[in-house]
Amino acid sequence: MERTTDADRINEIQHSAQPCFQCGICAASCPIFRVAPDFNPRMAVDEVLRTGTVAMTGREWFCAYCLMCEERCPMEVALSEILIDIKNLSANDGKVPPSIIEMMDVIRFTGKVSHASKRTEKKRRELGLPELPKPDVDEVQTIFEMTGALDRLMRFREAEVEPE
Amino acid sequence: MRFALFPGCTISDRLPFIEKSIRMIAPHFNIELIDLPFTCCPEPNSVRSFSDKTWLTMGARNLALAEEAGVNIMTACAGCFESLSMSKHVLDSKPSEKEEVNKVLKKIGKEYKGQVEVRHIQQVLYEDIGIEEIQRNVQYPINYRAVIHPGCHTLRPQKILNLDDAEAPMKLDELVRAIGMESLDYMDKVMCCGAGVRGINREIAFGVLREKMDSMMMVDPEVAVVFCPTCFISFEAGQKVVNRMFDKKYNLPVYYYTEILAAAMGLEGVESILSEHRVKFSALGMLVAKNEPEIENATPH
Amino acid sequence: MTTSDSVSDAGTGVEPKVEAAESEIRIGVFPCKCGKNIGAVVDIDTVAEYAKTLPGVVHVQVNTYTCADPGQKEIQEAIREHNLNRIIVASCSPTMHEDTFRKTVKGAGLNPYLCIMANIREHVSWVHQQDPEGATTKAKELVAMAVAKATSLVPQPELDVPVTPSALVVGAGVAGMQASLDLADMGYKVYLIEKEPTIGGIMAILDKVFPQNDCSICILGPKMVDVIQHPNIKVISMAEVDEVSGYVGNFSVRVRQRARYVDPDACTACAECIEVCPVDIPSRVDQNLTWKKAIYIPFPQAVPSSYVIDPEACLGMDLLRCGKCYEKCEQHAVIPEDEDKIIEFEVGVIIIATGFEPADPKKIPRLGWGRYPNVITSLEFERLINAAGPTEGKLVRPSDITKPKSVAIVQCVGSRDIHTRMGCSNFCCAESVKCALLIKEHYPETEVVIYYQDLRMHGKYFEDQYHKAREEGIKFIRGRVGEIQEYPHTKNLRISVEDTTHNELLLVDFDMVILSMGAEGVAGNVPLPISVTQDKFYIESHPKLRPVDTSSAGVFICGGAESPKDIRDSVIQASAAAGRASIILQRGRYPIEALSARIQQDICSRCGTCVKRCPYGAIIQDGTGRYTVMGALCQACGTCAGDCPKDAIVMPNFTNEQIFAQIETALKENPEEKIVAFACAFCSYRGSDLAGVSRMQYPTNARVIRAMCSGRYSVKFAQRAFELGAGSVLYSGCHLPADCHFQTGNHWMAKREPRIRNWMKRKGINDERFRIEWVSAGEGKKWQQIMTDMSEIAMKHADEIRKKRTAKSKGKTKGGKQAKSKRSPKTQGTKKGKKKTTKTKRKKED
Repeated sequence: MERTTDADRINEIQHSAQPCFQCGICAASCPIFRVAPDFNPRMAVDEVLRTGTVAMTGREWFCAYCLMCEERCPMEVALSEILIDIKNLSANDGKVPPSIIEMMDVIRFTGKVSHASKRTEKKRRELGLPELPKPDVDEVQTIFEMTGALDRLMRFREAEVEPE
Repeated sequence: MRFALFPGCTISDRLPFIEKSIRMIAPHFNIELIDLPFTCCPEPNSVRSFSDKTWLTMGARNLALAEEAGVNIMTACAGCFESLSMSKHVLDSKPSEKEEVNKVLKKIGKEYKGQVEVRHIQQVLYEDIGIEEIQRNVQYPINYRAVIHPGCHTLRPQKILNLDDAEAPMKLDELVRAIGMESLDYMDKVMCCGAGVRGINREIAFGVLREKMDSMMMVDPEVAVVFCPTCFISFEAGQKVVNRMFDKKYNLPVYYYTEILAAAMGLEGVESILSEHRVKFSALGMLVAKNEPEIENATPH
Repeated sequence: MTTSDSVSDAGTGVEPKVEAAESEIRIGVFPCKCGKNIGAVVDIDTVAEYAKTLPGVVHVQVNTYTCADPGQKEIQEAIREHNLNRIIVASCSPTMHEDTFRKTVKGAGLNPYLCIMANIREHVSWVHQQDPEGATTKAKELVAMAVAKATSLVPQPELDVPVTPSALVVGAGVAGMQASLDLADMGYKVYLIEKEPTIGGIMAILDKVFPQNDCSICILGPKMVDVIQHPNIKVISMAEVDEVSGYVGNFSVRVRQRARYVDPDACTACAECIEVCPVDIPSRVDQNLTWKKAIYIPFPQAVPSSYVIDPEACLGMDLLRCGKCYEKCEQHAVIPEDEDKIIEFEVGVIIIATGFEPADPKKIPRLGWGRYPNVITSLEFERLINAAGPTEGKLVRPSDITKPKSVAIVQCVGSRDIHTRMGCSNFCCAESVKCALLIKEHYPETEVVIYYQDLRMHGKYFEDQYHKAREEGIKFIRGRVGEIQEYPHTKNLRISVEDTTHNELLLVDFDMVILSMGAEGVAGNVPLPISVTQDKFYIESHPKLRPVDTSSAGVFICGGAESPKDIRDSVIQASAAAGRASIILQRGRYPIEALSARIQQDICSRCGTCVKRCPYGAIIQDGTGRYTVMGALCQACGTCAGDCPKDAIVMPNFTNEQIFAQIETALKENPEEKIVAFACAFCSYRGSDLAGVSRMQYPTNARVIRAMCSGRYSVKFAQRAFELGAGSVLYSGCHLPADCHFQTGNHWMAKREPRIRNWMKRKGINDERFRIEWVSAGEGKKWQQIMTDMSEIAMKHADEIRKKRTAKSKGKTKGGKQAKSKRSPKTQGTKKGKKKTTKTKRKKED
């Protein structure tokens, strides 16, 4: 179900970046920029405007998706969405931080991000909590297959195997 | 009031005592909870960044489950609240996306129609039940100095989530005041706790947490109250990492709101919840277990 | 036209009576060669011979230069000699010479509106240079169309109305004061309405004004006195306009004046009352930074120089409840029984100078105003630094009354932000620099930093101020402040800002922050039908050429009501508005648009659609429920008539009857090959003229019908044209959204599109045969392209018709030759056009 091609997505990013007038409110509001001077949301948009392309440096994954920039942007540029889009492009390229691959694998096989350990199960029983109905993992598999997540996971594995 | 409880993976699988506190208080406010085979919401940053279509479809599946059961969703986690609300927003505002998603859902025998509402437990408590009703249920007011952290994903995007003012939130403050606490205004109140990048870059994540907690500590709080399990872990477990990493000496007990509400309501079994906390607040434990007469003296009703 | 046409109204006889047409129509046609301009392409003699055969034409006279003096004289002589009562000049565009020839016929004693033109230069000879035969045919048909229209022309009265020599000025800020003084000095009576207890507006509460940083009240105070003492100005303070009726030259105004409870003539401003008043309320003038009493004077220099009682704060002026001021006042100026008053008067013109409100800092919570005491607005700063302000000119922090050692000034607050106002305030940059310089002047050791996004020091002497600020050591950092946070114990402030020139986050601490506030529009506060922008400023008639006029004749705008601006610009605009208004007052009479709409009362179903269409509020419903047009307000666009479901509205010289006559005549020959093109007088028709002037060639099959505005094009026009077999139909207007000369006519026309398309669908008419296009007066090239494209569409349609006919006749007579020979080559376009058509045809055959 690849609804948008990467080119469409880049077009969309460019389009939504256009109203930006580089005031810097996003950067001034970004908690990540506060501790990581390498990550400036304004520059991410500026790059799109300046070069017309989307550079995937890996730094896009630093975005914590706190939405502060988007909330305050005086031109209503959807910065968080732009970063989500850039990350999707990276993911399609097989460039994904390993922790996210791990998370996606867990979801794929359990439907959850943190599968209950024996200890938690015991704890739930001790607390008198009910056993929660388990999601059908086949359904998750189907969604992964049909929405491209599986492809991306495979592509990452290939990228991993390739000698650098 | 009947809701499908969406505890979220973090609460159900890592912090079950928070779920316990929710299930403890619910009957007292006539909240009936049912459980459905939900998957992860899915997590709003990483999953959506990896594949936004997967994110949207899994979200739609969860929404469809509640729709089928004819109940609205009550989330306990800010991330789940944001993720499901955003999925719903995308599906409801973009018919083409909804169509695509329903094509996939059809394969697993489901359909998203757009009838379900997503609420955060804070909204249910603040809007549906109300401060007065909560105050009426408080048996043992807890008069400590608290810093509250509403959490990014309950606040933003404000025009979609519509839970509180994104720049100057006051509702969680009112809720903690309702149980007798003083809510301290502090710098960077709406700032992120850094959890969103914990898996990507620990230095950045805990750097953000350090900034946030430095600001919190300026007002000399006794406890922190949150309404999000991810933020809970950030503050509770994360402060020890920050102490190691940046040579800090934080020792701030952290509570999810319903835990401390359950304590203030004097509900049975609260000790078992509070004993799960890594940063213990001895005074609170004592308060719940033993010092009842003193409290009674302190409150006329 | 029937005699039941509604006449007059508003009791003025403003809506002119329509004369019935004379019994015998005697048309004179004057084809012009325009030297070689027309003569070299169009065979004028053939056109003249043809014109003689047209019904009603009794005289035809060819001239080489009709517009020259001898040519005009010939027309006048012919009118007298042949007793002509309709004149058609077949020459250039009416845009060029309609006025000329109207004057000519008027000189011969004929009503000027009985003269119309056939445009055979811009629409024929200049655009069909390669096809003299086609051009001549087109010229003949254009003359025939004009003759058909002329038959039903009727004389239109040229009326004017008397003008009351007085003016209403709403708002007594610096702009309203200036406009009032200008008009009063010219000798006109001025009613100056102000909603506050004092005149002076925002300028009166400023400390200093840039670029010279002179004392604001010192320069404004004397002007305020001039206003109140001027024999021709009546200041009505604490008042708002309740109702305005009438029209240019004759407005009736009703003003409601709130009770002051103090007689301004008796009050000597001795201030003894405030010593006894027990009530404290926040002082608005001092930005609520201090208190005032329930009986107060806004500021010492207030005009009228009188106290006022806030009835909501006052405990009671009677002795039982309080009455201390009443008892104390030796002048007996306190009037407990004072009431709101209604004041009514007549004026000829209105100037709106209602200004703006400072932007609301509460709408930008990220900057902490209201939560953090040491974050103040620029207006609060003005009061703090003002010697007459709450601190007597000492700059202190509201949290602890200490002098700040460091001050940040944050720009663009309430401006350039979708959440507040998109526009730039035009004054906040200069305001910031002024504040910074004032701080440095009083406390040179203070650290002052200005955070700006784009420093727009555009005014005269502004750059000097900027240089001075730099010399004084004021720092400028490019970056818009993201948030302000307050330190819990010290109440100091931390600013988060990105230094965007260095791509670096700055978290900087300050003792105090000044928010340089923009403006918020308040337009819509005067009961007049004047359009308002989304951010609530009044819309001018034309942003460049008529910047202080409005869509309502006789109503002008100036100052902050028009857009945010500084004092100098407000004063300039106020004088401009006064000047424009005085033209009407000085003439003494105001001409009424002769072609204004008339409602035929016996047909009107009183649905009220016309009222919604009229951009000028010219259609009113009288006491009996009848809708009537106020001639003095109507601008004759015809948008009302375009949507009138009963066709009850007559647009003189552009009546349905006349337009239908033009359509029918245009489609007499080979209708399937014709483009019936409607063009509005101010944009599209001028665009088509430009194509002519620029000699842009296109096929000859277009027949253009001119209307004042695209709003006039009724759905029925296209329907009639298609029913008569037109190849294609074009509705062309001014560009959306804002180019329409008549404000909104183009919008209403565009809204008719679905109705036309649905009708076409039902009738099985190919969708591509109807088009709506937006052509400006500068788009000759676009007009050429549209004509070429639509010609192809018409020709394609004509081919289909021919094929059908051939098929039919084949079925009957087994030979299609006859049908084919019917086709007139004369309506073919240029060679290029011809080729294209053949190509299309071939394609079809393949």
